Amino acid sequence: MATYSLANERLRALEDIEREIGAILQNAGTVILELSKEKTNERLLDRQAAAFTASVQHVEAELSGQIRYLTQVATGQPHEGSSYSSRKDCQMALKRVDYARLKLSDVARTCEQMLEN
Amino acid sequence: MAQQRALPQSKETLLQSYNKRLKDDVKSVMDNFTEIIKSAKIEDETQVSRATQGEQDNYEMHVRAANIVRAGESLMKLVSDLKQFLILNDFPSVNEAIDQRNQQLRALQEECDRKLIALRDEVSIDLYELEEEYYSSSSSLCEANGRPLCEAYWRLDLDTDSADGLSAPVLASPEPSAGPLQAAAPAHSHASGPGPTEHA
Repeated sequence: MATYSLANERLRALEDIEREIGAILQNAGTVILELSKEKTNERLLDRQAAAFTASVQHVEAELSGQIRYLTQVATGQPHEGSSYSSRKDCQMALKRVDYARLKLSDVARTCEQMLEN
Repeated sequence: MAQQRALPQSKETLLQSYNKRLKDDVKSVMDNFTEIIKSAKIEDETQVSRATQGEQDNYEMHVRAANIVRAGESLMKLVSDLKQFLILNDFPSVNEAIDQRNQQLRALQEECDRKLIALRDEVSIDLYELEEEYYSSSSSLCEANGRPLCEAYWRLDLDTDSADGLSAPVLASPEPSAGPLQAAAPAHSHASGPGPTEHA
């Protein structure tokens, strides 16, 4: 959701890290597969191996950063905030709208019946 | 007090365990990958026969590959735990999320109320015209029965649904200056069934 930007940035970063872990395993598999061939493509090997190493270091750095941030921010207490009151007020406003719509439809129906009669 | 001190310690212990898991898994991935690359090297001199050495290398590579996959899965679990910890304990972002949600809901509520007020103003004009029409067209009948519009509506309501009580209407604009409107305001709650027989 675009509105929860700050919370979603960190969660999005963690999702990117998950994708990168998948890429790490993919690169490792590609390197080993390439090594198993009789004629190895050295450039591909070097590229994939470098990508593997860079990804592993990047994942480690990112996760360390996230853990460091959580160490600074986390407390032992549960968060007790809620949006219940504004949600209730909004619900009541929507109920008012529904009620008004109902009454308007009643008046419209009565007018139509009067016209028919 | 001792209990309060215990809680942050468990969080700190938890975060330290996350660090340890991260270091162990990354080390496992790197070491196993490096060992697989090393064991891919073909050596001329071996202690056992080539076939045996080949089998041993094959088994070792399988085990190390499984270790790499296990470490990768452990890293995914760690990321999932971190996400959960973040959602529950990252107070700045939770506060901001709550504030944004409150703003959204308040804006929606204000818009609903604003539109209802505009609707009320429009409908009160139309209702005034309807009442003018009613009284001018059936005024003689009204005199005959001695029943104003509001009572005619109440009579309708009692006939069709006696169980429902009269409720205050949302659209009623209680303006003391308008006589018919004032009398008719409580009657706007229910309007069902045909009009009174005196209505031409």
